[in-house]
Amino acid sequence: MPRNHPGTPSAGPPADPGLAALNTQLSAARAATLARGETFYQGPSRVHLAAFPPKERWDDWAELSSRAWPRREERHYMLVPTTCFNCESACGLLAYVDRESGQVRKFEGNPEHPGSRGRNCAKGPATLNQVTDPDRILYPLRRSGPRGSGNWERVSWDEALDALAGRIRAALTEGRQNEIMVHLGRPGEDGFTERVLASWGVDGHNSHTNVCSSGGRTGFQFWMGIDRPSPDHAHAKVIYLISAHLESGHYFNPHAQRITEARENGAKVIVLDTRLSNTATHADYWLSPQPGSEAAINLAIANHLIQTKRYDRDFVRRWWNWQEYLAACHPGEPPTFESFEAILARLYTEFTFDYAAAESGIDAAVLAEVAEVVAGAGHQFACHSWRSAAAANLGGWQVSRTVFLISALLGAVATPGGTFPNAWNKFIPRPIHVPPHPGVWQDLSWPAEYPLAQNELSFLLPHFLADGRGRLDTYFIRVYNPVWTNPDGLSWMEALTDENKVGCFVALTPTWSESAYFADYVLPMGHSPERHDTHSYEQYDGQWIGFRQPVLRAARERLGETITDSREVNPGEVWEENEFWTELSWRIDPDGSLGIRQYHESRARPGEKLTVDEYYGWMFEHSVPGLPERAASDGLTPLQWMRRYGAFEITRGNGPLHEQPVPDSELQDTVITGTGRVYSAARRPAGPNIVPTGAPEADPDGRAPAGVVVDGQVLRGFPTPSGRLEFWSSTLAGWGWPEQALPGYIKSHVHPDRLEPGQVVLLSTFRLPTQIHTRSANAKWLNELAHTNPVWVHPRDAGRFGIAKTGDLVRVETEIGYFVAKAWITEGIRPGVVACSHHMGRWRLQGDPRSGAPMPVVSLEHGDDGWRMQQRKPAGPYDSADPDTRRIWWSDTGVHQNLTFGVHPDPISGMHCWHQAVRVGPARPGDRHGDIHVDTHRAHEVYRQWLTLARPAGQVSPDGSRRPRWLMRPLKPTTAAYALPGPGTDAERRE
Amino acid sequence: MTAASFELLRAAGAVADNPADAGAVSRALGIPVLSPHEHTEVFMLNCPPYASVFLGPDGALGGEGADRVAGFWRAIGLTPPAEPDHLTALLSLYAGLGEAAAQVHRPATATMLARARAALFWEHLWPWLPAYLDAVTDLAIPAASAWAALTSAAITAEAGRYRAPAALPLAQRAAPAAPAAGEPGELVTALLMPVRSGIILTRRRLAAAAGDTGTGYRIGERRYALQAMLAQDPAQTLQWLARESEQWAIRHAGRADPGPASQWWSHRAGRTAWLLTELAGQAGADQAPVSAPLPAVTTTSQPMPKPSAMAAPGPISQPRSTP
Repeated sequence: MPRNHPGTPSAGPPADPGLAALNTQLSAARAATLARGETFYQGPSRVHLAAFPPKERWDDWAELSSRAWPRREERHYMLVPTTCFNCESACGLLAYVDRESGQVRKFEGNPEHPGSRGRNCAKGPATLNQVTDPDRILYPLRRSGPRGSGNWERVSWDEALDALAGRIRAALTEGRQNEIMVHLGRPGEDGFTERVLASWGVDGHNSHTNVCSSGGRTGFQFWMGIDRPSPDHAHAKVIYLISAHLESGHYFNPHAQRITEARENGAKVIVLDTRLSNTATHADYWLSPQPGSEAAINLAIANHLIQTKRYDRDFVRRWWNWQEYLAACHPGEPPTFESFEAILARLYTEFTFDYAAAESGIDAAVLAEVAEVVAGAGHQFACHSWRSAAAANLGGWQVSRTVFLISALLGAVATPGGTFPNAWNKFIPRPIHVPPHPGVWQDLSWPAEYPLAQNELSFLLPHFLADGRGRLDTYFIRVYNPVWTNPDGLSWMEALTDENKVGCFVALTPTWSESAYFADYVLPMGHSPERHDTHSYEQYDGQWIGFRQPVLRAARERLGETITDSREVNPGEVWEENEFWTELSWRIDPDGSLGIRQYHESRARPGEKLTVDEYYGWMFEHSVPGLPERAASDGLTPLQWMRRYGAFEITRGNGPLHEQPVPDSELQDTVITGTGRVYSAARRPAGPNIVPTGAPEADPDGRAPAGVVVDGQVLRGFPTPSGRLEFWSSTLAGWGWPEQALPGYIKSHVHPDRLEPGQVVLLSTFRLPTQIHTRSANAKWLNELAHTNPVWVHPRDAGRFGIAKTGDLVRVETEIGYFVAKAWITEGIRPGVVACSHHMGRWRLQGDPRSGAPMPVVSLEHGDDGWRMQQRKPAGPYDSADPDTRRIWWSDTGVHQNLTFGVHPDPISGMHCWHQAVRVGPARPGDRHGDIHVDTHRAHEVYRQWLTLARPAGQVSPDGSRRPRWLMRPLKPTTAAYALPGPGTDAERRE
Repeated sequence: MTAASFELLRAAGAVADNPADAGAVSRALGIPVLSPHEHTEVFMLNCPPYASVFLGPDGALGGEGADRVAGFWRAIGLTPPAEPDHLTALLSLYAGLGEAAAQVHRPATATMLARARAALFWEHLWPWLPAYLDAVTDLAIPAASAWAALTSAAITAEAGRYRAPAALPLAQRAAPAAPAAGEPGELVTALLMPVRSGIILTRRRLAAAAGDTGTGYRIGERRYALQAMLAQDPAQTLQWLARESEQWAIRHAGRADPGPASQWWSHRAGRTAWLLTELAGQAGADQAPVSAPLPAVTTTSQPMPKPSAMAAPGPISQPRSTP
């Protein structure tokens, strides 16, 4: 036998012909098994978790009943995939549907889901609690007494739909489009709700995003025209988190598992978090900065990269818009990269480690060490900044803008282990109907004071209504609890109980909430296993789509039944929004004369109602590349395949799409600007992926931006005005903020210089890892895990605050009131800072229909000095259909601190700046745990103070429009609607 | 090499994975199916199929032994799985590398893949698998023996298709010292670590030892059981262990090994046999008459007797490393 390199195998057949024959048989057996769509090697899954049920057994999966032990009693299940609804990660779930009872017995992970890969956090399995919640809403209800009186009558869906359709039709036909609004808690199913509103011609989409992630998004959008980062954590050498991604952040589970993989491969994790979060406990470097100083730290690291010339010169030269910057800000300098570098070397020199140390309170030597670690990451630097500091501080958006500055210096953009624009790792299939842009502009959501706001100024709505800027005829909330979630919730309550401001208030919700209590209609909507929608999120360098579905419908269809309405399988008369919105749209426009019905009609059967089967069937057939072929190989239609497996990976390893050459077919009659922006008369063919990005405007002759010239080649580039990464933002400069056009540091509203004597910063933005805002209130397992939110106090501060021990009551005074909570003395918080999670602190008013949900009963009284809330009966055991409610052993369910926060709109991003300057002291005589006091008049004054920071479009717009058209907006009106109103009208008068 | 031989190795590894899956694969391999009870007996209780247990300096799951294997996965650009040194993962990786080499077009890539596969074989499979499969055979479970025989044939066939490296694998070059006289606890620890003692003492073999020596087999971890036996009858137990070690030395030496690994194992086992023989002799001289009551387990803290000045086997000559 010939011998090769030492130790290497030689070529040739196996030595033993018997073995060779066996090998051949084995290969054939495996191929035959796989050809049947079954699994040959059924051991630990390809992601090395414990074994999952092989997918060929999903129709009849047997497990032993734990309750029958020690008898071996088999239970048989159908396993049906859906998507978790308890945060935005959209992890895959497998519902175990009992074949005997036809009910869901449990939820586990879906191993076929590319993002979550079979893993779930505690919130996924707890979906079962929500399905079986004894206090859930099962039937449509209509208020039968004054708002908030707690009197309800059950009505039919027909009654509710006809009443709402009548109101909306009247508003539309009377030109009152802006009196219709739909306000979303969880996202709008990748554009579904936006399209419903567009079909009505209404600019009525409102979201929670400006109390959530707008600040983080803004910084990324001004750089790359796309407002979310997509860090490739798994392949990073250095992971830099200004967030809590290992415990509770956005895409927590999909990201955490990839961060863990990276750590196993030796990656370093740097966490900036003032409190010792679970994420921080896993960090190689935990930096606990003075709140608001994060951007200063980022800039010190950036300055270190610049001064030590450890940045990727070629990437900066190719992809930064330095030419635009030189032309605009240094017209006297030679337009060369070398002269830009010389300026760059001077720009951030004030951000020394000593400066950052003075701002942040972190030792300069530690910052220098961290900067060296970052410098060593090269292209494998994955960063994330989402809520946290970006959502908490005046100018917080500069936190994400400066963290991406580090990525952009390192050239770690769309590289393995780097950070991608999210749109490249996300796929939103083009739907069956795409209605046109609405021709109106909703000033209540997009006021002229905030032309650059990332999202709707949702949290200012009560103040705008109080100012008489408009009224709402019909206001929907969808899985949203504005009274509880927003700052200044009692101003919300005042607005929602005033029928002159809100004519009809409709809560689309699976569960009771502090807000639904004040609604006119409470309409029950399904949880994740009771509704349809699709999702796709950036969780690695690839694109996938997940399918949420009513699992009992899918199970019964597998058994041969035909289900045409999710109410047939959901508990009570719980519905789903897809079918609800379609039905409501038909009733608004029954004869099609308003032009609405056409967007909710079948294509296959014109004149008939669009069904969810056709809606998703068309989408999966026509707009998800590769899915029809994959499904066909299994003998299924694309819709059947998605109902069976729940998720499909469309692409993997997309890489740097900005480097893709623009084909010649898209370059006709081109115009190339001096900085290389290429405009073309040819349009890029519409693709199936309609993921939102910035939309740079056409040139004056109508040519569309097609790409950007880089080193002589026309490349795709980024969806920014320049086509490059915008180190200098012409938008910020041109819209009244030239001093903020570069990545920089804005001192927070809670900067030590701005604190009065005795004030400290209250961190209020962090989650509890097993909770999810108000959504998880009815998940008993999650409530048992975490149910309170004490105030974190450092031992050094306890004495000066007059706190003797953990559990003592403290009064925390904000600018509009105070709350009384228990103290937790811990070294896990920076001295001089206190913290309280915004989760927990749920309440129900006396008379609230929630029979006994595990939350306290409170009294709420209005006096001369404002509102007072007091807990009258703590949470405790209660009787219900679920025996576990008798086993509630805890009574402390926390304090609703958000009620005591004034609104703080950032003048650029529009983000509510959550951090509070507070005074902390021992509880006063008579104070009780959970007490709240709020002066809503003072809250309105705070609103007015912050309003003065804004630079309204009427003063700064360079072109007479309300907002730069290229910026992202969930629902964009027509170009005409962008025009500012003429002199003497609303916005101008306010200015 | 045809892809089919890789499938055999992958399938052999899959049998060791979990009992629910072993059935179909075993049938495809044409070998008897292990019952769930037998599967647990073999792969969980007696012969856990992890390289770290047999090559790791701790003689236990995980630790440096597993880290070395994980390092290999990383060195070839792969993310180590949760159990990088499990036999299923290793044989699957081996098969995958072989199949990948057959599919690439660039000769340099094929060569790189072939070298990676060879390194995997000589560093992380061949150094422990033959002895491990012998230990499985010793369990005398027919289905397990059939699996061991087939797997042994397959990997022996693989070994015959390589030119073996002259150097010992790293795990053996860097192995901790062979057992020595001293504290009884230390001796027991060393005996239970294959890479130190050169022998594999499964629970079943220890139970057999208890039967052969007339000592009571205390239910518990192997260390506890062995300590109890030594406390009850040190001379008999040490003699049994010495004979067992001699058998392992002979078994290692008789293996058709184109490289030096088996010779090294044989030497380790021989050295252990010599030490135990010495200790048994001393223990016999010191031990009370057979009719005396058995000592209590709690008395095992007394030091073991030291071996006499009889010459111990010398160190195995280290082959020169190839450049």
